[in-house]
Amino acid sequence: MTAAARAGAEEEVQARLPDVGSLAAALDDVDYLADPGLATALFLAVRLPQPLLLEGEPGVGKTEAAKALARVLDTPLYRLQCFEGIDAAEALYEWNHPRQLLGIRLAEARGAPLDEDDLFGPEYLLRRPLLQAIEHPGPRPAVLLLDEIDRADAEFEAFTFEVLAEAAVTVPELGTIRAAHPPVVVLTSNRTRDLHDALTRRCLYHWIDYPSPDRVAEIVRRRVPGSAEPLAVDAASAVTRLRSLDMVKPPGIAEVIDWVSALSILGVTRLDPPAVEATWGSVLKNRDDQELARTRGAAWLAAEG
Amino acid sequence: MVQPPIAPGPLAVGLTTALHRAGLPTTPERAAGLARALQLVPPRDRAALYWTCRIALLTDRAQLPVFDAVFSAVFDGMLDPADSRGDPTAPPSIGSEPRTRPVPPDARPSSPGTAEGTPGSGGGDDGADGVEREVLLAAASTEERLRSTSFADLTAEELGTVRDLVRRLVLSTPERRSRRTRPSRRAGDRLDLRRTVRAAQRTGGDPARLVHAHRRTQPRRLVLLCDVSGSMEAYTRVYLTLLQGAVAGARAEAFVFSTRLTRLTRQLSLRDPDQALARAGATASDWAGGTRLAHGVGRLVADHGRRGLARGAVVVVLSDGWAQDDPDDVADAMRRLRRLAHRIVWVNPRRAAPGYAPLVGGMAAALPYCDAFVSGHSLAALEQVVAAVRESAPSRGSPRAREG
Repeated sequence: MTAAARAGAEEEVQARLPDVGSLAAALDDVDYLADPGLATALFLAVRLPQPLLLEGEPGVGKTEAAKALARVLDTPLYRLQCFEGIDAAEALYEWNHPRQLLGIRLAEARGAPLDEDDLFGPEYLLRRPLLQAIEHPGPRPAVLLLDEIDRADAEFEAFTFEVLAEAAVTVPELGTIRAAHPPVVVLTSNRTRDLHDALTRRCLYHWIDYPSPDRVAEIVRRRVPGSAEPLAVDAASAVTRLRSLDMVKPPGIAEVIDWVSALSILGVTRLDPPAVEATWGSVLKNRDDQELARTRGAAWLAAEG
Repeated sequence: MVQPPIAPGPLAVGLTTALHRAGLPTTPERAAGLARALQLVPPRDRAALYWTCRIALLTDRAQLPVFDAVFSAVFDGMLDPADSRGDPTAPPSIGSEPRTRPVPPDARPSSPGTAEGTPGSGGGDDGADGVEREVLLAAASTEERLRSTSFADLTAEELGTVRDLVRRLVLSTPERRSRRTRPSRRAGDRLDLRRTVRAAQRTGGDPARLVHAHRRTQPRRLVLLCDVSGSMEAYTRVYLTLLQGAVAGARAEAFVFSTRLTRLTRQLSLRDPDQALARAGATASDWAGGTRLAHGVGRLVADHGRRGLARGAVVVVLSDGWAQDDPDDVADAMRRLRRLAHRIVWVNPRRAAPGYAPLVGGMAAALPYCDAFVSGHSLAALEQVVAAVRESAPSRGSPRAREG
């Protein structure tokens, strides 16, 4: 429905993102390195437009992808972190009840007449991310990130999709609010439960793989500006080596960034065994994993790749 | 550059059809989506075509190998091989792989008590009045006998009856407090401001009645992990029915393993049990293979459990513990699972054998991490499984496994 109801993206967006290459370059400019697959996925999500479901290991940059896309489009990012029991009041809107009560008391004290409409006006409405994204005035659509949609209940998932398909919200007291610029929707999932068919059917799908060591090194150089060039390469290949072990929590890109930041602060420029010994904790955050890696030794990890 | 310009429509339909034949759930809707996507991203080279097709058509990472194989089979003959960058090592005919589930050897010798013949499954009512009572009695005693017969000793007909009975078992897990609330007037709960103000509107804005929010409870998630290796074959026939009933009834998550782990939740969630079992059989291709217990549990934890699937869940492992893996690896995997799960129930049909002691490497290593250890080899024993799953308080303390 989403795709059928909206024939293509708006002209301004089309002009900004004429093809996949220009999106990849624009993402690069905001320091997000997207491989051709992810760039194609984001491009289609914006231009078709159709919601995009991103999956991948924790820490491969699913959330970052949505943030970078918002920066490229130069629009706000509205993020809804899903959790069990999330409902419309937390996702869509809620009336500001304390303020309403205060309004009643104030009107009483002043002896001013008070209409019910006064209490249910826009100024008493608390806007939650879904409504904010729909109300976004433009000129370009906002980016709406539904993070970890699998944590919400199935009913909430269905409700969200209805709202997005219509790109309109009805607040009984105010009437229907229709989106002038339907948001670009990015969903992420950790696959703790099977998502509903209706959702997967409407979404584009992309699995983000853990990137190659070269690319990790490049990402680290962008994210930790002060770090020494060889250090990023060393750390990236060391983490690739760690990932070959049977880890409880294999270190991701976030851990490489943490690690290189820590090493830079310590003034390290090349990864050597003493530096590894001092910083186990910034790359391996589980005791079993640390023990496993220690049996291989710091020298193994620091070995020139 | 591609020599003949390809029209997006026919290309999308052609690829979708090929994928459908290979068993991927593709729809005309997705084909239409691909056609539109191809207009936006012209397929200049193989990579561009590959990513556009993959993003528009797939809905799950598990579909990737089949997709890659079909894509390569369809396009690699057509395009300039110079700009080929996919993996040519992908097996070309994944869809046509033989996936027959080995037929369980049903022609087993009947147990000594089968002399009276088949259970009274049909035709009891239309018989003559005189024999009706006897038939009923026979049926009752058959069921009684079936209750205590080991699943390994069932004949084909008895198996059908037992499966029907197993299907009626209800697995229910203990409850936990959920994030959702319901209104309550008990003062001990948190004040629900939203509902209080709603109620106050009826009394002229005066919050005369306070509404509190009471946390609802919800049953814990149930995760079933069934060993389908060769040594378990006699029991798997019945356990799969148990899995199917739990998935359809209690929204459980079901996994099977022998040499690798397969998630069967989706396949087993069909209402029609026979159809569900057939689909499950077609999905897991390593039935009756070897047992890699540590690998199976390890993958369950790494790929699913840690992401939240096993957190606070009741995990039931159905296995005889005869593993090829190193017992230390089994212990490692079980320790990881133990940290996530609320309770671990181990069902081992061999436990019922006289003089059984959990000395097999894998079983001995896993036992310290289990909250309950039951046999589940017959209908009567399966009721112990039901009880073990329902039990709420995990026996935290030194002797983790109880012989019960």
